[in-house]
Amino acid sequence: MKRIVTAFTVAASLWAGAAAAQDKPTFYLLSHGGPSDAFWIDWNRGATDACTQLAVTCNISFSGGDMAAQKEAFNSAIAAKPQGIATTSAQPGLWTEEVAAARAAGIPVVFFNTDDTSTGRQGYVGADLRSAGVQWAQYLVDNKMVKAGDTVFMPVEVPGASYQVLETEGIASVFDPLGVKYDVVEAGTDPAGIIAKMTDYMVANKPVAMIGLGDSVMSSVKQVFDGAGLSAGAIPVVGWGNSKTTAEAVRDGYVNAAAWQFPSAQGFMPVALLKLAAAGEPIGYNIETFSLYDKASVDPILKLYEAE
Amino acid sequence: MSDTPKPGLAALIKVPQYASLVLLVIVLGTFAALNGDFLSPLNVSNMLAFLPELGIIALGMTLLLTAGEFDLSVGATFGLVPVVVMLLVQNAGVDLGLALVIGLAICVLIGLINGLIVTKIGISSFLVTLSMLMIIRGAALYITQGFPLASWDQPGIFVTLLAGDFYIGPFRVYASIFWFAVLSGLAGYLLNRAKIGNWISAIGSNRNAAVARGVPADKVKVWLFVLTSVLAGLAGMISAFRISTASPVAGTGYELEVIAMVVVGGTALNGGRGTILGTVVGALMLRGIRNGIVLIGVPGLAYNIFVGAVILGMLMLHAALQNSGRKG
Repeated sequence: MKRIVTAFTVAASLWAGAAAAQDKPTFYLLSHGGPSDAFWIDWNRGATDACTQLAVTCNISFSGGDMAAQKEAFNSAIAAKPQGIATTSAQPGLWTEEVAAARAAGIPVVFFNTDDTSTGRQGYVGADLRSAGVQWAQYLVDNKMVKAGDTVFMPVEVPGASYQVLETEGIASVFDPLGVKYDVVEAGTDPAGIIAKMTDYMVANKPVAMIGLGDSVMSSVKQVFDGAGLSAGAIPVVGWGNSKTTAEAVRDGYVNAAAWQFPSAQGFMPVALLKLAAAGEPIGYNIETFSLYDKASVDPILKLYEAE
Repeated sequence: MSDTPKPGLAALIKVPQYASLVLLVIVLGTFAALNGDFLSPLNVSNMLAFLPELGIIALGMTLLLTAGEFDLSVGATFGLVPVVVMLLVQNAGVDLGLALVIGLAICVLIGLINGLIVTKIGISSFLVTLSMLMIIRGAALYITQGFPLASWDQPGIFVTLLAGDFYIGPFRVYASIFWFAVLSGLAGYLLNRAKIGNWISAIGSNRNAAVARGVPADKVKVWLFVLTSVLAGLAGMISAFRISTASPVAGTGYELEVIAMVVVGGTALNGGRGTILGTVVGALMLRGIRNGIVLIGVPGLAYNIFVGAVILGMLMLHAALQNSGRKG
């Protein structure tokens, strides 16, 4: 009898284990980034940590900026009928059909890093670009670095891109009522061209402050200052800070405050949201992963880059 | 007393490169008058820092245009070579010198493919090099996953030779300006003094006539494509060392900027007439215009309107000066 009970117990345990494995939710995480980029390495670490800790199966893919490849991955994910899909949305309107199809199939969808609210996604984890603009402008105002009549230099790689439009909207909401002017300047995407254009502007216009609307322009700040004959801290600079070069510029005093997007949290939180959704919990809310760092708080970020 | 009239301004501007030189003086003078900082040591140093990188590519393009061909893949080659070199050094542990040789060998290969397809299959160089531009840019993006690499920022013989900097009085001078000067001298010698210069002009003027006179037109063109690619790769390495970044999108749009420099300098777009001095002047003029437009306070998003308008104005003035010179 004892043997029968033991055998039954073992069989029951095995069945329960197999059932548990079968019930383990599967999520697809689709990034437009590249796996070798520092930001996405940290993001990947956060995502895989979440998958282990929350006991879910994650299929993670990077499309390296290839929207067609990411679209194919999304459609493959829908076909696999997982318990959730998390994706970036680097291009507005890219996921209109796919999100509708996923929702129709009962698959929860969460966006991270870049949002597109028009798709009907259930949640978002990342920075609010308009809010980023507000915070940069407010930093300069609160620290009395700009006043009415001043013109702030705002270089951007691609004028008219959605990130520039949203960030400038946020900046305008702070500067316009105070009479602070701003000059959005196309710097292009070619690194040498960015440095040349920004240096020329600095020499010519001697702006009182700068807000870098993209990571490429921000990572050129030190060389621009050197070219324009300016010492570190000669004018206040704020903007994006998702690169080692910019973090070093913050440490060395060329950049006053830079924005960090908490890449690890951007990987962890979408998995947590999807796990909740898979358990039947409602997830119709956003999680903002954004803050400014300065010289006093740059060390953990530098350590992160140095570890890679 | 000689009866021969002394060459005056009217006679000088019959020569394309001198017409460009006159225009360069006008451009520089105008910007200097509008903003005192234009000729300041700091601004001149900045202008000269970027100038050689485009100027070196323009030298190859001048020879190629004179022979009646285009190379639209130079900007992509400019971006690809540093990316390959840095990947070899950082990921494969290859010695920097060897990696540079491999990078330049890739340029030779690109030039050979361009040249052989143009000359042996007979497809227009515009179409061949446009396709090559896409292939090379795509390759650079693919192997880097679209992200820039950290470039070689350690001091060393190659960095010093290609992009080292020092001060002459208040002017910060990069080694690349000497490369540009030496290569300009060599290209000028090739085009104006060597037999191959006559061949290049003859091929660009009338290829069939040149071939009938025994000029190895196809061979010359293939080697001009190779030279242009190698110069683009060299310029890419200089740029990557100077700014300590190797980006897969570096050099975007350089092909058209370089063609504008060459044509503004007086080289004929349809071949047969080329001038290295004019290209040096054209490079200075384009860089001066881009810099000067910023310095005179044009609104940030209106730069390209003014740059385009000034270049167009310069080309029209150039044509008018030459036409009046011919009539005179």
